[in-house]
Amino acid sequence: MNNFNILTRRSFLSYASKAGVAAAFSSLIDIPLIAKRALAANAQLGQNGKKLLFIFLRGANDSLNSVVPVQDSAYATSRPTLGIPKDGLTDYSTSGAADMPLNTVATDPTFSYPNAIRLGNGFMALHPSLKFLTPLYNAGDLALVHRVGYPKQSRSHFDSQNYWENGNPNINASKDGIFYRTIIESGLAHTAALTGVSFQSSLPLILRGSDAAMTNLSDPSRYDLFGLPNTTAGNAKADVALRAANQFAFPDKKSRELLSLQYKNMTDTLSIFASINFKETLLDAGNTDGDTIPYNLFPNSNAENGGYAAHANSAAKYVISPSHYSFMQSLKSAAIVLNKTDAIIAGTQLDGFDTHSNQGSVNGSHSNLQKAIGWAMYALKQYFSNHSDKVNWNNVVVVTLSEFGRTTVENSDAGTDHAEAGVMFVAGGAVKGFGKGNASGVFGGSPNDSVPWVPGPASGGGSMFGASSRYLKRAVDYRSVLGKVIRDHLGASQDQLNRIIPGYTVAGEMLQSGGISTKDGTKIMGELPVV
Amino acid sequence: MKAALGIATLCFATLGLLAPPSQAEDSAIQLSVTNGNQVLDLPLVSGIDEFKILGTTNLSEPFSVVGGGNLSGYTWMAPSAGGLQFYQVEMVPKDSNSVVSANVLNRLAYGPTPDEIARVNQMGAEGFIQEQLAPEKIQESLAIDQVNTSSDWQYVTATGTGSSSTLYIYLDRAGDCYVDDIKLVRGSVPEVGVNLLTNGGFELGLTDWTVSTNLTNSVVVSSPIHEGSQALHVIADDTGTTRDTSIWATTATLSSSQTYTLSYWYKPGASLTPNLTIRLSGSGIVSSPNSVATKLELGNASIEDLRAWHVLHAIQSKKQLLEILLQFLENHFVTQYSKSSDFLSQYYQNGEEDTRAARMEYMENKLWRGALLNPQCTFYDLLKISAESPAMIIFLDTVNSKGNGSNIANENYARELLELFSFGVDNGYDQNDITVMSRAWTGWSIRLVDPTNEFNAFAPQSTTLRPGMTNLARPDNLEGIWAFNFKTANHNTNSKTIFPNKVVPARFGAPYAGRNYQLVLPARNGTNGIKDGYEVIAHFADQPFAQEFISVKLCRLFVHDDFATGYDFTDPNLSPEGKLVRDCMLAWEQNVPKGQIRKVLEVIFNSDLFRSQSGSMQKVKTPLEFTVSAVRALRGLASDGTYTADSDGFSMSSPLNRMGRMRLFDRDAPDGYPEAGAPWISAGTLAERLRFAQAFLTARNASGRPTDAGNNFCDPVKLLKTKLSATDWNDAGKVADYFLAIIFPSEGKGNLDAFRNLAINFLNTADDGVTASLFSSVGNTTTTYDTRVRGMVAILMTSQRFQEQ
Repeated sequence: MNNFNILTRRSFLSYASKAGVAAAFSSLIDIPLIAKRALAANAQLGQNGKKLLFIFLRGANDSLNSVVPVQDSAYATSRPTLGIPKDGLTDYSTSGAADMPLNTVATDPTFSYPNAIRLGNGFMALHPSLKFLTPLYNAGDLALVHRVGYPKQSRSHFDSQNYWENGNPNINASKDGIFYRTIIESGLAHTAALTGVSFQSSLPLILRGSDAAMTNLSDPSRYDLFGLPNTTAGNAKADVALRAANQFAFPDKKSRELLSLQYKNMTDTLSIFASINFKETLLDAGNTDGDTIPYNLFPNSNAENGGYAAHANSAAKYVISPSHYSFMQSLKSAAIVLNKTDAIIAGTQLDGFDTHSNQGSVNGSHSNLQKAIGWAMYALKQYFSNHSDKVNWNNVVVVTLSEFGRTTVENSDAGTDHAEAGVMFVAGGAVKGFGKGNASGVFGGSPNDSVPWVPGPASGGGSMFGASSRYLKRAVDYRSVLGKVIRDHLGASQDQLNRIIPGYTVAGEMLQSGGISTKDGTKIMGELPVV
Repeated sequence: MKAALGIATLCFATLGLLAPPSQAEDSAIQLSVTNGNQVLDLPLVSGIDEFKILGTTNLSEPFSVVGGGNLSGYTWMAPSAGGLQFYQVEMVPKDSNSVVSANVLNRLAYGPTPDEIARVNQMGAEGFIQEQLAPEKIQESLAIDQVNTSSDWQYVTATGTGSSSTLYIYLDRAGDCYVDDIKLVRGSVPEVGVNLLTNGGFELGLTDWTVSTNLTNSVVVSSPIHEGSQALHVIADDTGTTRDTSIWATTATLSSSQTYTLSYWYKPGASLTPNLTIRLSGSGIVSSPNSVATKLELGNASIEDLRAWHVLHAIQSKKQLLEILLQFLENHFVTQYSKSSDFLSQYYQNGEEDTRAARMEYMENKLWRGALLNPQCTFYDLLKISAESPAMIIFLDTVNSKGNGSNIANENYARELLELFSFGVDNGYDQNDITVMSRAWTGWSIRLVDPTNEFNAFAPQSTTLRPGMTNLARPDNLEGIWAFNFKTANHNTNSKTIFPNKVVPARFGAPYAGRNYQLVLPARNGTNGIKDGYEVIAHFADQPFAQEFISVKLCRLFVHDDFATGYDFTDPNLSPEGKLVRDCMLAWEQNVPKGQIRKVLEVIFNSDLFRSQSGSMQKVKTPLEFTVSAVRALRGLASDGTYTADSDGFSMSSPLNRMGRMRLFDRDAPDGYPEAGAPWISAGTLAERLRFAQAFLTARNASGRPTDAGNNFCDPVKLLKTKLSATDWNDAGKVADYFLAIIFPSEGKGNLDAFRNLAINFLNTADDGVTASLFSSVGNTTTTYDTRVRGMVAILMTSQRFQEQ
């Protein structure tokens, strides 16, 4: 009577009781999961070699200072202290490739360019600390999706993070994650030990669910058990006893299935992680940023951080802030796991985005966070293009999530407060950015969009004041972005996607085709051609 | 061979328990045939001491016990020579009182100790509940609570090893104190033997001592002294850490494998005494006169001191429910040590920003502790302490919030007060209420005041300059305490209407539904403005939304995780959970004063949900609960007066951090650490729990002892020898039974059968995991025996069942 691979009657029935999302979940009740996979005829989900890497930017990224609407006259007036300045010698209205403020002189500080980086969609620019995104942008490997949100947006961190992760906005009863459901649909949960992996302090909701355990580690080097005595034989004796105990039947109680699944996941994955080298040094291919040396892609110390060591320990040559070394290690682990194992989804999070005060503009706390985002994307492209042996950049999509954007008008503490729509960064060889069938890599950030970005103040219906007269109004639903990636990159069928993101089955949500959402009357653009 | 029909019968010998519905679903007996033998898969039911297999060949005959056959875990295999039978399973339940007793130790306490199991079984769960509900009546005098703020000469000793032959004296910050008669002798008895230090009494002035720059003002004085004619007045202008920031001397040559004892006399200096350290280089002997409790009271404890103190209370205190509630409050009214320290770093850079921030956290605990000792303590009392806490005023940005003139108030505290601290998310309020209410808090700030003014919100800034300082405008030049202070100039003086015309929804039923709960704060000038905040919390504290939300949180803490706000209390089919919340609310509402915490707790502890299997082992331990319960589980009182498991308190911080970043007093988000299991349990954090358990069980002096449990130690052999008679010490079954009973006290013997076999097998196998090595033959004073028992206990503590409470 093993209780872990088969739904127990208890959880079987408890699924039925979640009537609140019956429309979506009903299909999960009737049919055993293994049979369901067979039903998903021709679906490639989990079998096409495609991978997804997610980064949750926790705290709510100030998108208006990341992907900056420099051509919106209301931007500079709303942010006299925080606004990113335009370069007087640059015409931001011209189209084409983005400008590349990479260094031409090796000794120049890494981030010496102090102005917004022209993107070439005629309206938007990048925060200068995102300069390492420009090679990705110009290769067509980056989609910047702006004005992303969901209906009746919550401005509570906890709730909004939950909705981004459970894929069911405003439904607190939905307790499993959108990527968990993706993996369940793929059927991999019953054939592979490692399917979805995160590298952070604990398993995020986006990977949690009651029928299968996804894996979370904070430190692969400590992922190792020992016994008493702590000798090879003693460890083996303890291991045998642990695995035997895992097999014992038990009367069901509320947490026992969770424990059973997670214990099994642990014992199944220990040897996989033991066989992977997470410490290998990964350098850029060729000199970086005009310097005389290649930089370390995932710096773990000052010496490994950009050109610091090569230039007499100069902090001006950092590519990221030293406070982000552990984030870089988590990111590196996620990338390595996607390369070396069956896992199709891996990710981590970056904290610190809740910039209510003194967030800085070109420099400062928000700027440091942008450096981490920019370098992270660059490092991932370089890793999957030049180092990974099993998975290539063309098979990877990287996506960022963040619970909301921030207020258009800066507050009296030189910071910004909770708002609504924000920006998603979508990167990968498979992404269709600039020049890959799209005139620019910016989506949702132009007055020429089908739901136009209206520049100007609230009185003129400016988009930056479109919600409650204070907040940037959404024009895209985050589920449309994730849905497109899950279906057209990871290979889910539409049926599978409908179960992963139940909003797809609700016509009024307009997630696929776009239109006026019946949830709140907002016109949205539906899916965008990002992959 | 055809199998006969099997019938399952649930036989509860004494119905002290309610069998929850979910048990019935799994109570199916299954009959199958394997290799010609009949096999019964027994019902998966909790709390069963014995499964009896009964059979009959003829249904008109009575069933009788089937002899032979092999019962292992939940599987019974019939004897191979048996013929066709009808089968019945009789399940002898565990005595329901012992289940409730085990449950109260898992909920009202941080898990059982061997002695507490016996005590609660004797006094009954009811007696224990009553005892714990009145902590003010529990007599206790823990060493960790002893505070010494005497200004007299105090004798201090420390024993250790001779890591090096240099002795340091230093303070942890600028300040002064007196030291006299330092002696260092071989052995463990103070002052017995040759003093290996010359001029330890300073009779020769500073001869043989070298004074570093930061202590250059130190002098030898003739008063105050302890003995002889001189003593050392240690005067530091900066922090000391090692030789070059200390007053140091060379001792006679010491050996690192030899024990030595240091002794000296210490007298505190001027107020705000810094912490003195006297130690050997290499820290083979380290001594500090101020205990953690003393440092906490003096206000110069570090956050690690506070964490150790809190953990040691969780392990040692008899007032377990009090400790559980204090941790609950700490995690409900979240404040963040790092943010306070960060805020104070604009005034201090010398480490005071850290100790003062730690003091803010300590004060919350101290004040809640005092409040909870009052039998009529209400939720309002606890909420008020939180609102007035400088740590809270900093954490949610009220400290600089201004509402005067055109200034816009900061909404952070207003939002979280409703969303997280009183009503629960979206439960009875909207954005407008947050915006309006935020103005009530403008002016609630902090100031450095004279210590006597700590609870006077209108006090002026301290005017007491520190020795050698002159600038009255700079807090770092002044003596004082950071306290809640109302800044009239920042206050929004307008009238405010919160919850305008709002009415309690119908779902709450009588007596709440339909009540108008609008709150109007009149326009207020000057110091009267402070009343806004107090009226807000007085109004919020007893609203039905708060009653519901807090009751839900307490039910989640004590019963199981599946409670939520939003019940329709008028529904005739209200779930048992909804009914319990309702009963809690009525106890809140109908007693005077309203909101008495003990009345609500009584309702929960008397409920069917709490007392049945529905409340037993349904939750997962948080990292704090896991580590503390591990120490407690093996912590019995031995005949020599020592405990068989202990902790230095400090060693928990690192494991708690690794088990999911549980940093006590330093949660970075106001929603508190999760109470449910799913956020804590995944591959990496499970591995950390298992590593902790194995390291904890490893003998203290084992070479290469893993560091994962730090200075958390246990001696299970000493425990078993205290509790079992000598004839049982080599009986694998009896030893296994003993540890199963203390580690899984709520499970029945029938449920634990598989674990029992695993444990016995482990005890009977050599370390190589393969060779048989009968436990009965292993000398019970040998290391082999010790390791064998430790390893077996570790297997039990690394199992899934020990993650539960």
